[in-house]
Amino acid sequence: MVMPLHRVNVLTGTKGAKVVTEAAEFADTIKRAKRPLFVLGPRLLGTCLDGKSLVEYALEIAKASKAPICATAHIRAKMMELGVKPDSEYDVVEIINRLKDPDWKGVRKEGNHDLVVFFGIRTDLGNQGLSTLKHFAPHLKTMTLCKYVFPNADFSLPNFRKDEEWKSFLETLVSKLKEEG
Amino acid sequence: MTQTAEHKKTKKRKEIEKIIRAEDNWEPIGATPMPDVADLRNWDMRLLKTYAPWYAPFCDLCCFCTYGKCDLTAGKRGACGIDIAGQQGRIVLLACCMGLAAHGGHARHIIDYLIEKHGEDCKINLGDNVAVEAPNIRTVLGLKPETLADLRTAVEYAERELIHLVSALNTGQEGSNLDYESKALHAGMLDHVVMEAADIAQITGFKYPTSVADTPLIDAGVSCVDIAKPTILVIGHNPATSTNIIDHLRKNDLYDKVEVGGICCTALETTRYADKAKVIGPLSRQLYYVRTGIADVIVTDEQCIRTDVGIEAKKVGTAMIATSDKACYGFEDATEMDADEIVKKVVEEGKQYLILDHEKAGEVAVKVALKLAPQRRKHLLDEKEAQELAKSCRECEICERACPNLMSIGTGIRQAGQGNFEPLRQMVDECIGCGKCDQDCPRKIPIMRIMQAVAGTDTFKVRAGRGPIMDTEIRNVGAPIVLGTIPGVVAFVGCSNYPDVDDIVEMAEEFAKRKYIVVMSGCAAMVAGMKKDAEGKTIYERFPGNFDAGGVVNVGSCVANAHITGAAIKIANIFATLPLRGNYEVIADYILNRVGACGVAWGAYSQKAATIATGCNRMGIPVLLGPHSSKYRRLYLSKKGEDDWKVMDGRKREIVDTEEPSPEHLVYVTESKERAMVTIAKLCIRKNDTPQGRAIKLNHYISLYKKHMGSGLPEDLQHYVRTDKDLPIVYKKEVLTYLKEIGWKPKPVLSLPTLIGTYPTKVPLEAVIH
Ligand code: SF4
Ligand code: SF4
Ligand code: SF4
Repeated sequence: MVMPLHRVNVLTGTKGAKVVTEAAEFADTIKRAKRPLFVLGPRLLGTCLDGKSLVEYALEIAKASKAPICATAHIRAKMMELGVKPDSEYDVVEIINRLKDPDWKGVRKEGNHDLVVFFGIRTDLGNQGLSTLKHFAPHLKTMTLCKYVFPNADFSLPNFRKDEEWKSFLETLVSKLKEEG
Repeated sequence: MTQTAEHKKTKKRKEIEKIIRAEDNWEPIGATPMPDVADLRNWDMRLLKTYAPWYAPFCDLCCFCTYGKCDLTAGKRGACGIDIAGQQGRIVLLACCMGLAAHGGHARHIIDYLIEKHGEDCKINLGDNVAVEAPNIRTVLGLKPETLADLRTAVEYAERELIHLVSALNTGQEGSNLDYESKALHAGMLDHVVMEAADIAQITGFKYPTSVADTPLIDAGVSCVDIAKPTILVIGHNPATSTNIIDHLRKNDLYDKVEVGGICCTALETTRYADKAKVIGPLSRQLYYVRTGIADVIVTDEQCIRTDVGIEAKKVGTAMIATSDKACYGFEDATEMDADEIVKKVVEEGKQYLILDHEKAGEVAVKVALKLAPQRRKHLLDEKEAQELAKSCRECEICERACPNLMSIGTGIRQAGQGNFEPLRQMVDECIGCGKCDQDCPRKIPIMRIMQAVAGTDTFKVRAGRGPIMDTEIRNVGAPIVLGTIPGVVAFVGCSNYPDVDDIVEMAEEFAKRKYIVVMSGCAAMVAGMKKDAEGKTIYERFPGNFDAGGVVNVGSCVANAHITGAAIKIANIFATLPLRGNYEVIADYILNRVGACGVAWGAYSQKAATIATGCNRMGIPVLLGPHSSKYRRLYLSKKGEDDWKVMDGRKREIVDTEEPSPEHLVYVTESKERAMVTIAKLCIRKNDTPQGRAIKLNHYISLYKKHMGSGLPEDLQHYVRTDKDLPIVYKKEVLTYLKEIGWKPKPVLSLPTLIGTYPTKVPLEAVIH
């Protein structure tokens, strides 16, 4: 079992995340999803990778995935500044509450989502929310893009020690998502 | 009902009537005097229908019995048949039973102690301005307590219920998560009963300030103690010993010569008794402060004490006395020993004792402090010394992995090692004081001691706890709260497991400026005072202490939280003249639909805090929690616009679909203070708001939204606009355009919204139309 960076998130259970190091694998999973959703959180604020803000990375990935965005906490303000209006504004526990209902219509009213990508939520709260989905939402898969292991996700990044590794993962992900097919 | 059942019922009823002195005709008795575990179950189920439990398991296994461990992942059941939702409900009930027991144990102890001191016929006295002395006890039991013995009766009732609640936790008992929740709600309700009993007893027995708003301003902060003086540090919640310390000092003319400072609620209790005592800080400063060695003696009582405080005290040469049977720490019991003999052993041999005689403990603490202080050298690290210690940091970041507040503490230490203390200075306010970083550092760097160099020397002011809200205040604000023109009562309560300690004062100030009524208690009340504006003033110096629009009221310690629910009850009872006696459902229903109150437990950590919040929830008061509280595993969330928002229109006697999610959730977690503020404004919206009141509430909701969430309007705004009369003038044009765009239609206009009549209950509709 892979350990999360933050000990508070150590898994006490049998079903842990698959840790994925290849951006291509993430890109494939996202591409295969029928109705992916990006849930973005406030930890995207105030972090830059080589001068580019994480919010911009997140928006680029969501755009390349052609997926709607749910803005949690107060991340919306920054998105609006960047000229992007989020598709929905549920807070993190609220969106999770809606996602766990298989009959929910989703943020685009086209049906519930089958893949939810979390990015920018503090690891303890994020891992708790992912626990809800792991136990109560068998109809969807979850994925995380922060540089930490989230044991309760279906697919998680490893604990990247160096930001360059993370940056390179995110950039490759964008280019893979943009590739046709 | 069979004859025997009827007979039994009558017997039970007779017993209840005897206990609550039914013949005293101060109010008619409602449907549920002294309710049993299942008596309010239908009310709970009605709440849980709209506010369904949301579970985030913190642990996927169960190890409660020898059948286990059982894996409960995603639909699997344990060997006893329980599933993961049931298990979460069970853990929530367990937490609530612990919380109830902690407050109940405190109440039982302090009442017994004060009865011993003043006699059981000692009359309750809350001053001239508090006639409805015990709104929770009156509402739940139906008893109007007059003496300390009556308070004991209230606690005895809770004790009886607690045994049933704990029994439901045993393997092979309750199975439904909803029933576990109903029981947790029962525990929460009882918690407010015992907290109220405890605080009324304390106010009566220790003559704390009451029936006044303008209580003294107390010195506060980790630097508020004069380290040249002998110093006694009290930690915990129960003032039995700390008041005796003060008595001993006063009797021996030492009050000015010895410092008494408190951490956690004992600080708030002691400063209600003696305004020269000091509030050192909340729970999160405990380990930090103990490790400074400033205290000559540490005296512990109960709750929220670090269980290794004796070990830590020894390391820095501080003496230690435990005084509660709930927290004995393995110390030898010296209750029967001669005080001077104890002092000698403590001072000369470094012995640590348990002393269960509070007067003796008070005397010993003072004498030990006087003897030890001259022998001790107190010194806080300066930057130079701190840098020396931090230098050996190897940037391994192991400390960061251990940190439950996810801090980059390793960076702070590394920078400090290079002489740059700024990052660490910024981090001090985020640190929750757990000491895990220190413990895990492979270089044994004393991280928490290093923080001494950046803790600052500033001192602050905290308003002393004032106890219950006065009836006169309720008369003044009842109408504007129920009509909505005072936009809400926001109570910042609970512990200090904050993402950042500064969040509290920022949020409190925002709402005080907006003329909400801001109420404080516990650690939140302390940290609110530990920030100054440009003119050097704390929030308590900038805002009045009245329970009125724009006031910032410190009710007191954790047990004083009962005065916050008490104020909500008093609005129903005094302003709306609804009888409260044994009338829980009617009162809770009134509060849910008409009293725009919201609790904020931003740093809730303990089981007690979970219980307090759950008690608020049963009474219809929503509670907002900080991110750590997702580890409580359970929230009560609605599905927003898509849920059941039907109420009975009390006047027309017909069920109306209001389509209005108010209050939207009952217990909710959010990640950032910005989102919290927007949500608090929304959680103060009630169905009963008049158009004028609603317009004011929406004005705040929209303006906070624009401030923190960027331009535009909240995407759920349409849910809260019933007719165009609800629109705030400032945003009218913008909102109208938006409403048109999304095809909004006016909603039914209501009179007397109530849930009574929408679910099976013994309460007749007449009971709410008063
Ligand atoms: S209580 Fe039930 S779930 Fe828990 S260990 Fe025992 S059998 Fe398993
Ligand atoms: S003591 Fe403070 S910095 Fe250290 S692990 Fe605990 S919260 Fe983090
Ligand atoms: S664990 Fe110790 S050595 Fe490692 S980064 Fe933290 S303070 Fe430095």
